[in-house]
Amino acid sequence: MSYPPDRESLERFLGERGLSLDPDIDYAVACYDGAEIVGAGALSGYVLKDIAVAVEAEGAGVASAIVSHLLAEEGRRGLSHLFVFTRPAAEATFVSLGFTVVARVPQRVVLLENREEGIEQYIAALGSERTTVPGISGSIVVNCNPFTLGHRYLIETAARECEVVHVFVVDEERSLFPADVRFRLVQEGVAGLGNVEVHHGDKYIISAATFPSYFLKEPSEVVATHALLDLTIFGGRIAPALGITRRFVGEEPYCEVTGTYNQIMQQLLPDFGIEVTVIPRLERENAAISASTVRNAIRDDNLDLVRSLVPPSTYEFLISEEAMPIVRRIKTVNSRH
Amino acid sequence: MKIERTGMAGSLESSDVLVTIDPNVGRGVEVVLKSIAESRFGKQIRLLIEETLSELEVVEARVQVEDRSALDCTIKARLVTAIHRAAKMSHPDWEHLS
Repeated sequence: MSYPPDRESLERFLGERGLSLDPDIDYAVACYDGAEIVGAGALSGYVLKDIAVAVEAEGAGVASAIVSHLLAEEGRRGLSHLFVFTRPAAEATFVSLGFTVVARVPQRVVLLENREEGIEQYIAALGSERTTVPGISGSIVVNCNPFTLGHRYLIETAARECEVVHVFVVDEERSLFPADVRFRLVQEGVAGLGNVEVHHGDKYIISAATFPSYFLKEPSEVVATHALLDLTIFGGRIAPALGITRRFVGEEPYCEVTGTYNQIMQQLLPDFGIEVTVIPRLERENAAISASTVRNAIRDDNLDLVRSLVPPSTYEFLISEEAMPIVRRIKTVNSRH
Repeated sequence: MKIERTGMAGSLESSDVLVTIDPNVGRGVEVVLKSIAESRFGKQIRLLIEETLSELEVVEARVQVEDRSALDCTIKARLVTAIHRAAKMSHPDWEHLS
């Protein structure tokens, strides 16, 4: 494997097999037989994907060589809990390489992880925080970049209709506000509500493994596949563990990816016995309150506007010294998130 | 030896073994063994793992071993390397290695 990196040939090899290098790939490897590529694979953080082996080279240990190489790279990065995102036809290969299936979307994709007890441990940790409730258990999945009055309104509305509401905060570090800050602002923002539990989404809810599209601009076909995967995991594994029968979501007027996800959610979750309720966004002067509005206000140094869009707990943070590097980043980086 | 971070050694190629060591704060030693030879050699492999951990005085770690029909010497070598990497030791711990 001592050829100079030739991205074009790699892209062509993948293209012939209906795959392409996702924009968030940070490492790729190609396996050569002479001058020809016979296998390839890539990494996006802790997710292995775009792995393909030429039919003629099957059975020659190419798959295990590629996967071993990718795992070694992950090991060098200190990442040991890894996922594989691949076509259903490759499931058996990865199971034989020691991976365990997390979820499948028939004919589209299968997600596997390298820890047998991975998702079980995550679910067990969720359950240990709760006591069994007789009434309705609701759920909301949020990113909160940062936590706004809009989020508060959505959670309050759900809390009125349920015995308990489980709020899952996206853990991926792809937003301007770091995950631990976002999580903390959610906890502080719902402190007054007695029937709300805040959980980490970890790697199993809107993560690089389950819904990479959330962080990228992808064609809608790909978004649909990712959404189905994320929602299959939520509906099939996470919701049943907590007895969740309702999911609340804010209306999405701005983001196409989220809009597609919400549409698919409304079609799919009822099959798992989960009722989906779309709540119209809280408005201020005829505009829906959203985290991106708040980030823009921060960018424009419009503190009065910021204060009108977020609860005191979030505002206190934004004007604190701890928030300074984040505010600086918001002002200099031209990021969608 | 104290496990400070993830340490990995080996591969999934035939006759090799992939060892992954992670910190396991407050949970002692947990061993996850995946081997096609589980029924025949499982017990022997687990014993080898236990002995090696004990030799290197590892008391807290999550040890995942994916065996692809490796010999004992291979398993031990990969295990020792992974432990050293996880303990951030760049020199072998000769004192504890026989």
